[in-house]
Parts: sequence; structure tokens; C-alpha cells
Amino acid sequence: MQLLAQQLVNGIALGSIYALFAVGFALILAKMGILNVAHGTFATWGALASYYLVTERGLSFWVALALGVLLAGALGVAADQLAFEPLRRRGAGVFAPIIASIGIWIVLLTLAEAHAGPTAVSYPAESVPAEPFRFLGLIMLPAQVISVLALVVVVTGVHLLLTRTRFGSAIRAVAVDPRSATIVGVNARRTLIAVAFLAAAIAGLAGILGALSDNNVSATIGEGLLLKGFAAVVVGGYGDIRGAALVGVVIGVLEVMSSQYISSGFRDAITFGVLLVVLVARPQGVFGERQLVRA
Amino acid sequence: MSTTALLTTLQFAGVNALFALAIYASLRTGVLSLAPVFFGAVSAFTFGYTAGTVGLSVPLALVVGVGLGAAMGAVTAVLIIRLDSHYLAMATIAMVLIGRVLIINLVEYTGGPTGTLVPGDLGTWAWLIGSLVVACYVMSRLAGSRYGLAADAVREDPAVAQTLAISPRRIQFVGFVISGALGGAAGIFQASFLQYIGPDTFYTHLGFVTLAAVVLGGAFHWAGPVVGAIAFTLLPELLREPMGEYDRVVTGVLLVIIIIYMPRGLVDVRRLRLLRSRGRRRAVDDDATPTPTDRDTTPAQVTT
Repeated sequence: MQLLAQQLVNGIALGSIYALFAVGFALILAKMGILNVAHGTFATWGALASYYLVTERGLSFWVALALGVLLAGALGVAADQLAFEPLRRRGAGVFAPIIASIGIWIVLLTLAEAHAGPTAVSYPAESVPAEPFRFLGLIMLPAQVISVLALVVVVTGVHLLLTRTRFGSAIRAVAVDPRSATIVGVNARRTLIAVAFLAAAIAGLAGILGALSDNNVSATIGEGLLLKGFAAVVVGGYGDIRGAALVGVVIGVLEVMSSQYISSGFRDAITFGVLLVVLVARPQGVFGERQLVRA
Repeated sequence: MSTTALLTTLQFAGVNALFALAIYASLRTGVLSLAPVFFGAVSAFTFGYTAGTVGLSVPLALVVGVGLGAAMGAVTAVLIIRLDSHYLAMATIAMVLIGRVLIINLVEYTGGPTGTLVPGDLGTWAWLIGSLVVACYVMSRLAGSRYGLAADAVREDPAVAQTLAISPRRIQFVGFVISGALGGAAGIFQASFLQYIGPDTFYTHLGFVTLAAVVLGGAFHWAGPVVGAIAFTLLPELLREPMGEYDRVVTGVLLVIIIIYMPRGLVDVRRLRLLRSRGRRRAVDDDATPTPTDRDTTPAQVTT
């Protein structure tokens, strides 16, 4: 029982990181209509930047975290303006942005690999909070607590932003049709830049927290996150970020539980198996709403 | 680059061209699918098992592998063809991800994480060029056929195609089967060249790079994927000396630039026709001033 509860805690913490990433991924997919393969590299660059700032510049971890998140957001805006904006302006179909994002992914991943090198590193032990919390006999690492808190704050914040503010209405209007949104006085380009920044910054946060939890900063952090986040978005549906976030947490719990009680080898197979079954049985996602569009 | 290195690179370019044709086969029916990578993986490991462990003759094992690829294409199509474009692309990516997990865990047949050795009998120029020629011939014959025309219609607008009594699902199903057979063949040749395959041989990277090759070459003519695959395989090798580890940065930047400024790729039949007609028109212009009707009938006005 103790083991089960402890693994549940571990699963929720792991899942929170997947869920965080999924929220950003779902934002880009739902509000900009882009299946952004490069989203994982934003997470990687967030983590790499914060690691550099902590080790080389001697900043405190929290400052480095904030700057890493900002850098990831800036990368997201740069990618959007350099690659996606010209495509939007031309009215290119749904495939062109995917291809462009593959190009960005190749560039950012190659640069990350060149920058990080092959050796695995982690944040210096004295710079990050490490004292575990004990609660009812369960051990919670600071990284786990931070991940869960970050998820709650981000999901609540983004959800309130989208549903309760004028700016959120603008984002939703632009998502439906940028031209009609412009007619009613929304600055579509500025809105999309803000969404790109927000989504990539959340990815950067997920990358940094993932690196902190794994005790490992590498150029491939984002790749693993991309696959799990992607699964969470598909299963949860991308219409509502709360669905994607919930499924992200569930995936984390499933992973930890299946490697504890079934087999660690088939851990990923279970995640992606669920993904495929949901895709075939309920393509709009478990929490998604059916959209009516012309064939 | 030395001649041997160049020849090896060209061989891989040929294999990638087969993969690119497989992706093109479904893309021309309006379906973005990375499933050929999965089909290639299954066929390659089946080939390795039947030809290497069971001891089936190599050509027979090739036929089995290609048939298996086509069959999987059919099954996949039945399951996922009704999904919307984004979801369909995602489902095929998920297949590639699951494929890797299966390869790692079916140790008895695939060698698990360490991979398996594959007979190299098919890793010759004759087999490669032969299969490429066959594949190109089939695709070029299909292009002008009733199927090819229907596929173009489905790609441009499924709703319009349906009003013309074309069933988009059926066309896309056939596209998936062709894609499966080509993907299976490509996987087997890839395996035979490498003589070793592991869980990472057929993974997302291969899929994304091949997709990039199709876009670079042009997805509106069968020659596009072939040209794109050769260019996309040669380019990083040529850039390796001057650029070192940054060679792939150029590839990525190029991909973005091409999709923005040359969305129809290098092999763009429409642009070629346009240029030719412009040349012809200029010749006419020298004789007489153009009339508005002249302009109306030029292919420039035909939007596809």
C-alpha cells in the first residue's frame, strides 16, 4: 500500500511535466492549427540555457529558470515569425507548417547537440533545492512538488486567460478565423505572437523541470517530452487544455505503475497503444468536442 | 569526398528515394503519412528473420516482405483513413513510435535493443536500380491513369471529387497499399545495405527526413521524391567537410526556405509549363501585340 501510494506520487509528478508540455503543444495546435514537431526543442533549449546560466554565469537556479523560460518563449516567437508567418500570409494548407516545423526541429536539435555535447550533465547539487519533504510516510522530492505546483498554476492561469479575459476572447477569435477577428478589431498578428510565446515558454518550463526531476540536462530532453505530450494532446483532445493536462498526468501515472507492476520494457508501448486505440475509437479525443467543418 | 564514400552515399540516396516514393504515394491522395517507415521496419525485420534465421531464399523473402508491407498498408488504411488530416498524421507517427517499442521487446525475432544482422544479398546496385526503375515506372504509369486523375481530384478537394463519383476513401486506400508495398521494399533494401538493423534504424528521424525530401523534390510529380531524396542525402555529406557538425543546420534552414518560397518543390511541372508558355508567348509578342484572349488561354490562368 505504501509502495502504491509512493508510486502514485511519483507518477503524478512525472505526469505533471508531460501535462505541462502538452498544454503548450495543445495551445499551438488548437489556436494556430500547427502540429509543431519543433516544440520539443523549445523545451530542450530552455533546459540548456538555464543550465548554462547556473554553471557558467553563477546565477541562482530560480533566476536561471525564469531566463530559460523567457528564452524558450523568444525561440517560439522567432520560429513563428520566420517560418509560420510567411506561410500564414500565403494561406498555405495544413501540411506546409508541419514541414516548416520539421526544418526548425532539425536546426534547433542540431544546434542543441553541438552545444550540449555527448556527456550527460546535471544541475550542480548545491544550486538546486534537494531536501525531500516527508508527508504521511511518503517522500516527495522538491522537483516533484515544484512540477505539480507549476502544472496547477499554468493550467489554471492559461484556462482563465482563455475563458475569462478580453485577450483570451481575442485568441479564440483568431483561432477560428484570423481575418474575421481582424474585422472586429483584433490585432491577429500580435495575438498569434503572444500565443507562440506562451506555448514555447510553457515548453521551456516543462523542459527545465524535466531536467531537474531526471537530474539530467541533455540535448534530447525535448524529444521524450514531445512524444508524451503529443500522446496527451491526442488522447485528451486539444480543444480544452484541461483535458490534455489531465491525460498528461494519467500517462505519467500509467508509466510509473506499468514499470512497477508489469514490465518496464512495455512502458512506452502501453502509452502509445492507448494513443492508437483512442485515435481509432474516438478521434476527437476523450474530452474533445466534435467540430463541424466542411469536408 | 572520395569516390567510395560518394558511391555509398548514392546507394543510400536510392534507398531513401524508395522511401520518399512510398510517402509520395499516399501524399498524392491527400494523406500525410509517416506509416511507410513503420511498414519498412516490419518488412525489414521479417526479411531478416525469414532470410537470415529461417533460411528462405532471398528473392522469395523480398516478395514476402513487399507483400506484407502492402497488406499492412491495407489494414492501416481500413483503421485510420477516416481520421482528419492532423489526426491521421499523428496516428501514423504513433505507429512509428509503437514500432520501436515492439522491436525492442520482441527480442526473439528482432534481437531487441541490440538489433539483428541481415543478409546483404540485395545490397547491390543492380537490385537497387532495378527496383527504383520499377517503382518509378509504376508511379509514372499511374500518374496519367484513371486512378492518378482521381487521386489528383481527391487531393485538391475531396468534396468536389465526391460529386464527380470518386470515392476518396477508396482512392486513399489504394494509395496506402502502394505506399505499404514501396515502404516494405525500401525497408528491405535499407536493411540489406546496412546488413544490420536495430530499433533506431526505422524511427521518426527517417520519417521526417524522408518527408522533407519529398517536399524538397516536389510532391506533384513522381520524379520529385526521387530528386529530393538524392539531393537531401547528398547535401549533408557534401556539407560535412566545410560545415562539420553543423551540416544539418543547413538542411533544416533549406527546408524552411523551400516550403516558404518554393512550396511546390524542385520538380514543379506546372512551373516548367508556365516558363515554356511564357517563352512561346514572347516569341508571339515579337510578331504582334498580345490580345486579352491570348492571356486568358495561357496555362498561367489554370489554377490547380
